Amino acid sequence: MNIFVLNCGSSSVKYKLYDMKKEKVLAEGRVERVGQDNAVITHQPIGGEKVSKAMPILEHTTAIRECLNLLTHPEHGVIKSVEEIDAVGHRVVHGGESFSDSVLITERTKEIIDSLAGLAPLHNPANLTGIRAAEKIMPNVPQVAVFDTAFHSTIPPHAFLYAIPYSVYQRHKVRRYGFHGTSHKYVSQRAAELMGRPIEELKIISCHLGNGASIAAVQNGKSIDTSMGFTPLEGLMMGTRSGDIDPGAIFYIMKQEELGLHEIDSMLNKHSGLFGIAGVSDMRDIEKAISDDDRLASLAFQMYEYRIRKYVGAYVAAMNGVDAIVFTAGIGENTPSLRTALCANLSYLGIAIDEEKNKIRGEDVEISTPDSKVKVFVIPTDEELVIARDTAKIV
Amino acid sequence: MDIRKIAVLGAGRLGRGIAECAASKGYDVILFSQGAGGQDALRRIEKSLDRKLAKWAITESEKRLILGRISYTLDLKELSKVDLLVEATIDHFYTKQELLRTADHLCRPEVVFISTSSTLRISDLARGINRTDLLVGLHFIPPVPSVPVAELVRGTHTDEQAVEVARQFATRLGKQVVEIQESPGLVNPRTLAVLVNEAAYLIDEGVCDAYQAETIIKRAWGMTQGPLEMADRLGLDLVLNWMEQLQEVFGPRYAPCPLIRRYVRERRLGVKTRLGFLAYTEDDALITEGESTQQGKQED
Repeated sequence: MNIFVLNCGSSSVKYKLYDMKKEKVLAEGRVERVGQDNAVITHQPIGGEKVSKAMPILEHTTAIRECLNLLTHPEHGVIKSVEEIDAVGHRVVHGGESFSDSVLITERTKEIIDSLAGLAPLHNPANLTGIRAAEKIMPNVPQVAVFDTAFHSTIPPHAFLYAIPYSVYQRHKVRRYGFHGTSHKYVSQRAAELMGRPIEELKIISCHLGNGASIAAVQNGKSIDTSMGFTPLEGLMMGTRSGDIDPGAIFYIMKQEELGLHEIDSMLNKHSGLFGIAGVSDMRDIEKAISDDDRLASLAFQMYEYRIRKYVGAYVAAMNGVDAIVFTAGIGENTPSLRTALCANLSYLGIAIDEEKNKIRGEDVEISTPDSKVKVFVIPTDEELVIARDTAKIV
Repeated sequence: MDIRKIAVLGAGRLGRGIAECAASKGYDVILFSQGAGGQDALRRIEKSLDRKLAKWAITESEKRLILGRISYTLDLKELSKVDLLVEATIDHFYTKQELLRTADHLCRPEVVFISTSSTLRISDLARGINRTDLLVGLHFIPPVPSVPVAELVRGTHTDEQAVEVARQFATRLGKQVVEIQESPGLVNPRTLAVLVNEAAYLIDEGVCDAYQAETIIKRAWGMTQGPLEMADRLGLDLVLNWMEQLQEVFGPRYAPCPLIRRYVRERRLGVKTRLGFLAYTEDDALITEGESTQQGKQED
């Protein structure tokens, strides 16, 4: 069974084609600058030569059609015709309270995704555009939606509600939804596999640390809490996002600096986090600046680590224990110094890590020592594989 | 037709504001101006973006992206490349009509024309061009990037599809579009003219000074910018021009207060001359009341 996985943004399309018999990627690629004359399409058949070309691609249907042309290309393709695609799996950012799992896309599904655009204005409309475009090109191929929020639908009300008037939740559905669900689901399941134990009996803390970052408490295979909330702004300090901040400070800043809603939103989302403190948002730049004795870079690193540590402590308390901690995504996978600093500060949990293993990159690795009371893993995330698996399961 | 490249005729405050706003929403913009100061337009747009950057409203890379989408030219032949034309020149009927006529020859026949005129009638402007049905009135209110509403009017022959193009353009720019009947002065300029004029009388009669009038109106009506600052930012010469045109149509109730005439005669035009009803810094920032007393004394 071949599954075509699509992740459509407002001006980009990312794809992977899977052969699900072996759970193997056949080809992957992306289209950047959709909507412009100089869009760039990059296609990589696995084991083959990478192809890249610039061309006018004015909308998503053309973008997806171009991806399919490359997948079926006599020279660069990996399948003979589009008929060899059995199903399409779409990443959809927000499923609101309507979707607790992946679903086959129907007219009703699309209506609901559309109605949730207000909760994810940058993502859901683009995801829906991708769905409609794929349906247009492949009308007889089943399409499945896999939601970033679905994995967190198991969070109980006492954890997902904010302590504000209940009517606000009833009227506007303001609550914690959480994001990166597909990633948290994948790495927690993978950690259980690596431990050789059923996930149903484990307490796992999953740290997805990319440019956006979130942490999830996964108990018995279910998310029971996560750091991102109503929007991806809450929780950990991130590349350019503030994470947790006293709402009272926001009102004060708005008054003192005479800022409007757009300005404060932009400040907290785009000018804060590592960037706000150190002037750079990439952890590699932070590490380089630290080696150059940059005081603010060191401070940013300490803040970043400290906030993860606080959440780990909170989730240990929330689950009344922890069996494993997992690091994933750009920073989580590629910053050994962060893991070292964090784990050194978690010695009260009986955590000890093997510094040699901590240096290994690009593969699933247990970095804790054999006698560590809590297992610590680095697991490269694979959200597309989860989408492909869910799609295959549903169709 | 998919609209990606737009022309903005006029590089004054309104034209620059539309160009900045459109570029920040992803349009490629060609800014045309034959008047003095046009060359300075890109620098002023950059300055405006710098102010937004300082207030965290945009990032450095967003600023570069927005500026990269705007080009400036004196060459009207470039009009053949655009998908939509926005005319944002000063409200002088013959100048405007002449410019629209030239653009009519140069633009592709299906291109919709938007006029930002507030005191001239779209039906009258449309008479001079072939695409009578494709001219729509869309009055943006400065500062265009931050004012979330625009007034839309159609002329006698304006085609429904052209109206839809203008509506979609303004909506993408983040404006709530309110369609009203064609009438000189529309809603915003007409009501603002009255408010500014009345405030000018209060000042002229010695009831209050400009800062007092501004504070009371601004705070009482919950405005982010009071009417006198609005007038100063528009330019008192432009406000006077509005009032004279409105007076021609509607009679003496729009007769400009002598104080406004005096200010314009003295080249006390508002932000562009650093002094109007209120005083401004080199960076166009409003000088607070205490600071202004000092400056006012120097000016007097």
